[in-house]
Amino acid sequence: MSKDIAIHLKNITKEYPGVVANKNVDFQVFKGEIHALVGENGAGKSTLMKILYGIEQPDEGEILINGELEQINKVETAINLGIGMVHQEFTLVPSFTAPENIGLGQEPRNSQGIIDWKGLNKLVVDIAEKYGFKVDPSLKMIDASVGVQQRTEILKTLYRNANILILDEPTAVLTPQETDELFTVIRTLVDEGKTVVFITHKLREVMEIADRVTVMRAGEVQGVSETKNTSIAELASQMVGREVFLQVKKDEAKPEEEILNVEDLWVHDARGLLAVKGVSLNIRKGEIVGIAGVEGNGQSELVEALTGLRKTSQGSINYLGENIASSSPKNIRRKKIAHIPEDRTNTGLNTQLSIWENLIGNSYFRKPLSTNGIFNLKKIAMHSNKLKEDFDIRAPNISLKVKSLSGGNQQKVVVARELSEDPILTIASQPTRGVDIGNIEAIHEQLVQMRDDGGAVLLVSAELDEVMAVADRVGVMYEGQIVKWVNPKEVDQSQMGLYMAGIKD
Amino acid sequence: MEKFSFKDVLVTFAGLLITAFIAWVLISATGNNPSEVALYLYEGGFKGTRNIANSLYQATPLILTAVATLISFRVGMFNIGINGSMYVGALYAGWAGYKFTTLGHFTHVTVCILIGMLVGAAWMLLPALLRVYAGVSEIISTIILNFVAVLFVSYMANGPFRADPIAPATPRILETAELKQIFPNSQFNTGFFIAVFVAILAHFVLNKTTFGYELRSGGDGLVGMYPSRFSSYLGIPSDRSAIIGMLISGALGGLAGAIEVLGAVRYFFQELEFNQGFDGILIGILGKLEPIGSVIASLFYGAIKNGGFYVDYKTDVSREIIIVLISILIFFVSAQKMVKGLEKYPFIKKLDNFFSRKKM
Repeated sequence: MSKDIAIHLKNITKEYPGVVANKNVDFQVFKGEIHALVGENGAGKSTLMKILYGIEQPDEGEILINGELEQINKVETAINLGIGMVHQEFTLVPSFTAPENIGLGQEPRNSQGIIDWKGLNKLVVDIAEKYGFKVDPSLKMIDASVGVQQRTEILKTLYRNANILILDEPTAVLTPQETDELFTVIRTLVDEGKTVVFITHKLREVMEIADRVTVMRAGEVQGVSETKNTSIAELASQMVGREVFLQVKKDEAKPEEEILNVEDLWVHDARGLLAVKGVSLNIRKGEIVGIAGVEGNGQSELVEALTGLRKTSQGSINYLGENIASSSPKNIRRKKIAHIPEDRTNTGLNTQLSIWENLIGNSYFRKPLSTNGIFNLKKIAMHSNKLKEDFDIRAPNISLKVKSLSGGNQQKVVVARELSEDPILTIASQPTRGVDIGNIEAIHEQLVQMRDDGGAVLLVSAELDEVMAVADRVGVMYEGQIVKWVNPKEVDQSQMGLYMAGIKD
Repeated sequence: MEKFSFKDVLVTFAGLLITAFIAWVLISATGNNPSEVALYLYEGGFKGTRNIANSLYQATPLILTAVATLISFRVGMFNIGINGSMYVGALYAGWAGYKFTTLGHFTHVTVCILIGMLVGAAWMLLPALLRVYAGVSEIISTIILNFVAVLFVSYMANGPFRADPIAPATPRILETAELKQIFPNSQFNTGFFIAVFVAILAHFVLNKTTFGYELRSGGDGLVGMYPSRFSSYLGIPSDRSAIIGMLISGALGGLAGAIEVLGAVRYFFQELEFNQGFDGILIGILGKLEPIGSVIASLFYGAIKNGGFYVDYKTDVSREIIIVLISILIFFVSAQKMVKGLEKYPFIKKLDNFFSRKKM
């Protein structure tokens, strides 16, 4: 069956100082298909899409849109050619409503040149209905959920008559339910004749939604296949360049004495609303306890309370027989509790500081790294280089700013620091968010290693696969409570889905 | 912080060239001879002991205000009230200079300097506390305090501290409180060495001590980003860092004012005008928020400034044009993007690697 080709990027090469981001990349998307573009962070997916969208210019190569050779040297050209892009970070005005955002720059005007707000609202609602979305034209984006914001972004491209939609990691910020909704939207778009390019590194989603998939690694295309003829394992090994173990290898846990015992914990969130409502849990030496659940059900506040970043309202946190509720982060850290926070860029790291300055955040005050308040830079360099090696942080040297690292390597800096000081209890919150598949594997192995070395681990994650694979016991959190404790070997995903939706048996 | 790279050197020279070109046009347009002006600018900045001494004298307060700026920036606070600290520091150092009559030379100078620093620091206490405990933007409160400082010192020189019935000025400081002037006919004084010492100390503390690390863990390049979650997450009290950073910043502003009075002016009077607190912001940024870089930038700025005075004296070109030129220069030197993309040429890349070699 011959199909029309909507996008053909021919022999694209793009070099940045020191890196070849794209090397002779050939990328074809058929009209009316959902095409997944997968690859690890830094594989060159984003660069390729930036070239297509006119943000970057290729050093070599040609771009054909619907068979016509095109010079796309600015975003405007791309939009005029019917290409729309939804970036990972949304470009919405928070204080504007959906129609105001969608129409921005191309507002319909009446004969006096005044913006026709009613017409705009109607236009937007009509487009939305055509593709089966709902929009509330009076809702400001600042009050909208992430899913609604994303749909507004998609509408923005449709309003500009996009026929080819590029979605950059659209599910990274969504809950499982929102992801399902997004997939419905994508299918409707394709039914209406649109073409969708779907950038991701979640292979499960590729198998679920895409017709074909292009895998990139280190700036080159590794393979193009139809999803029905491939498997997650095959795609994963193409992506990483070696065999990937999708299952976490671990032995049966051998739990010993109790390390942490949380009793009837109540915590308020930043707005003063109750976020954690009477959580009790215990963690023993030598086990990994997982907390599953859709994000926003109190997991963040629970972790902040355990690590001293948030005051508790009621209840106790007994750690080795001592109540550490509402204790300071400093005290808690000195008791050998490590914390891998969910917010990597603002909390877990100061991205403006160098790698070594980030690596010594929990050890800079101790000998031999410093003596009487003065750094021993040689010892610090040894310590940091060892961590860089042990945790496989890919960077030319440790004086580089953390902001120049890829997301996965940034996370490795956090993990390396937190696991470096022999913690008794490790609290890991979304430890593999935005991390590519090869590094996810490494982080999981490190958590299991902590356990096997006699540590206690609390793993909080919205990725169900992750909690189920890594944890020995799993609590499901819903609306501030742990509604169910399960043994991950004895339940399946659909059952977990029900618990996560708050349905107890 | 980012180390200096070849790109910076290139940008600086490109900026100098462009500025020189604009200067040429401007000076020609006003009917003067640009090459003559350039010659006097050079002579005034660098020719002869006296001019060099005067250039160093101009650089002295700039070093301190630049370091004061960068310290506040690097704890994540945006302090633009250093000029205010300078005024109150100068006033009280001058007051201590005539008030304590029984002290020996070394003790008296030390006391005056410490009082100047203390008052300068105290001046920053209010904005720091307001920022940390009430969330008031330090940008706004320090700007306002600059005006308050001018009016306050003017009132003090007119009223409580006034000595001269004709002019609103304090008494002259005693000889025991003077920072010695070393060269004849130049206001260059030993305060310069204090300033350089402070910059070196700041470099050491910021980069090589746990105290400095704690101070900048929350900021460092994230100007105006206080409070950073990174430091509180590590268990470093970021509130304390922010307050201490502001106080040090104010103390150095006060020190700059104290040195002006003890080393050069020798008394405080109502018309005494400072703007080094503002120049320090530019110089601190020019020096990439590194103390040593700021010293170099200050020396350069001081020489240009002194050269400007000489041009003013020798030709019809007023010294304001020098300020215009410095502003243009800083504008271009900050324009990093000007050389974006040059790295792809192998020669430039090699030079860049050479200049940005890392020790670790």
